[in-house]
Amino acid sequence: MEFFAQMVTSGLSVGAVYALIGLGLNLTFWTTRVLNFGQGSVLMAGAMITATMVAHGQNVYASMFASMTITGVILLLTERVGVKPLIKASGSMGWVVSTLGIGVFLQGFASIAFGTQAIAFPDVLFSSGDTVELLGAYISKQYIAVFAISTVTVCLMELFLRKSTWGYAVRAVAHDSTLAALMGIPVRNVIIFSYLASGVLAGAAGILIAQIAGTVDPGFGLHLLVLAFVGAVVGGMGSAFGSLLGGLSLGLLEKLVGGYVSPAWAEASAFILLVAVLAVRPQGLFGKREVVKV
Amino acid sequence: MALMKRAAKALSTITLASAMFALPSHYALAELPGMIKIGMTSALTGPYNEFGEGNRRGVELAVERWNAKGGINGHKIEITLLLDDQLNPDRAVQNMRRILDNKEIVGIIGPAGSGPSLAVIDMVQADGRPYINAIPQTPTVTYPDSVTKPPRPNVFSFALQNNIEASVMAQYLTKHVKRIGVIHESTAYGVSGLDYLNEYLAKNGANTVVATDSYNQGTQDMTAQVARLAKANVEAIAAIGLGKDLAVLRRTMARMNVKVPLIASNGALGQPFQEGAGELVLGTRGTMIGAFAKRPLREATKTFADAYKAKFGVDRWWGNDPQYPQLFTAISVANAYDGANVLFEGIRRANSTDPQAIIKAIESITNFDGVNAVYSFSKSRHHALDIDGVQIFEYVKEGDKTRLQPVSN
Repeated sequence: MEFFAQMVTSGLSVGAVYALIGLGLNLTFWTTRVLNFGQGSVLMAGAMITATMVAHGQNVYASMFASMTITGVILLLTERVGVKPLIKASGSMGWVVSTLGIGVFLQGFASIAFGTQAIAFPDVLFSSGDTVELLGAYISKQYIAVFAISTVTVCLMELFLRKSTWGYAVRAVAHDSTLAALMGIPVRNVIIFSYLASGVLAGAAGILIAQIAGTVDPGFGLHLLVLAFVGAVVGGMGSAFGSLLGGLSLGLLEKLVGGYVSPAWAEASAFILLVAVLAVRPQGLFGKREVVKV
Repeated sequence: MALMKRAAKALSTITLASAMFALPSHYALAELPGMIKIGMTSALTGPYNEFGEGNRRGVELAVERWNAKGGINGHKIEITLLLDDQLNPDRAVQNMRRILDNKEIVGIIGPAGSGPSLAVIDMVQADGRPYINAIPQTPTVTYPDSVTKPPRPNVFSFALQNNIEASVMAQYLTKHVKRIGVIHESTAYGVSGLDYLNEYLAKNGANTVVATDSYNQGTQDMTAQVARLAKANVEAIAAIGLGKDLAVLRRTMARMNVKVPLIASNGALGQPFQEGAGELVLGTRGTMIGAFAKRPLREATKTFADAYKAKFGVDRWWGNDPQYPQLFTAISVANAYDGANVLFEGIRRANSTDPQAIIKAIESITNFDGVNAVYSFSKSRHHALDIDGVQIFEYVKEGDKTRLQPVSN
């Protein structure tokens, strides 16, 4: 039972961060049908800027706020430079290459600015040794905090998208941007908002996961992005709730397979899940089937 | 099909044989040129430049010191090709091709990791020029068949070989731990380290490994692995990996309240581990070359330390104590410095650029006073370091500072 509880809590914690990253991917996908392949580097930027500012004596919360603002701006620039000019072209090769290129550029820039070595990430939410006893198992307070913050953030975003005027606007643009424009919705502003929010979410996710890892380096983030993408696809692209469920399922599966079968099978199981879901339900668990009129 | 296979085999044998015969004639009677040229590929940038950049500094320092004394028999040394492979095997192969294509290069300093080294080592052996393996710990880089079998003729290793490190670790574990859990990275270094550890524990009559798990380099969480080891009721965790990953392991252990000792490979004594694990380093034990732990430092070690400090100052590769270099300097800088010195000494003794003459000269070196140890080579012994130069250290608290203290085996 103790073993099971430890696997479940760590799985939920990591899975909640996948959900947060997945939601960020979803936001830009809804409004522009673009997946930001450079999002991994944005996660890195969020964690790296926070770690560097704290190391230079800045307040932890001010550092986190500053880094999330910067990651928001990075996504705005990504949209302006790498997405807007290419989105009108047919096919997706343009924005795939440009977003990936921006990610590689960010990684290179971080190597020059912060060095290529891993740097220590401060204990923002408790320390690694802080635990609580639950069902006879020692559960890390860091895991609980990361899970709670990620889940609450995803739920608040879902509430915002469902209940607020801006949320309606985002959904309208996601449904049909031409029709939304005809209805007087400021489509351009909605797109800008979605990229800004996606950047802020990526910054927050980077800070949360760096807390678990303990260090951050320029290569940080790419691996997470791949798993978060798997989580988002499993949950269903286009659904915040799907993102959450997909991310949590993936995190749980990874840890349970890692714990009960073998850690070597943990990641493989994620991709087996992806293939299985795509074979049975291509739109993901909570996604809507896309119908194209021909 | 069988005929084609036989033809291909015959062709490759002929090619290899002609290459072997062609090589000595090219270098035969090669007198020392105006400038003695060296080629080097290493992880100068990227996440593993801790080692590559350290090696560059070591080799540059050795070149500078020889040139200050007038070079090798009056001929100055230059690092003609200094290439960056970022520890990437593909890039290391490209770089090595460039180095080997330059026939003026007399000696080669190889990559800073087992993966890229294993990728280039066969082409280096076929070429035949003397090659220094400064860091990669996998013994097959130097001894392709087994550490008890003949080495590659032109490869000399200054690394803390896996078999040596595992032997020291096994000796300690045999004496102190009844139920061992082993965790290792899934690379050539980690897997060969595990094999040697198991072999030496078995030799010691201690079949005490009750659980084994692996992880991928760069992993951000090891909950599953630590929980599995804890479930097997291990008394200590023995780990083989790089410092950054060992820090993740240590943090995961703390997060899961697993309080058994961590006894790790040398990665646990470097800055990436110290920075990643923070206060959690206390109590962690790790293997390391003991050269920089001696007080006072041996003469050769002190000369190196003074020269390094004068050229580079108290930097990341030196460590935090302005008085003495950190223990880790032995495997990030001093090994390459020693390797370059032995190469230059071989060229000096041979007074020729002929690879065979240089190799013979290096094999004739005995009691060479290096920074990390006193070295002796022979036709069958191409590695520099032995068990007596390696110790286990533990992080202990001293006032408000943390220091590394030798632990009796």
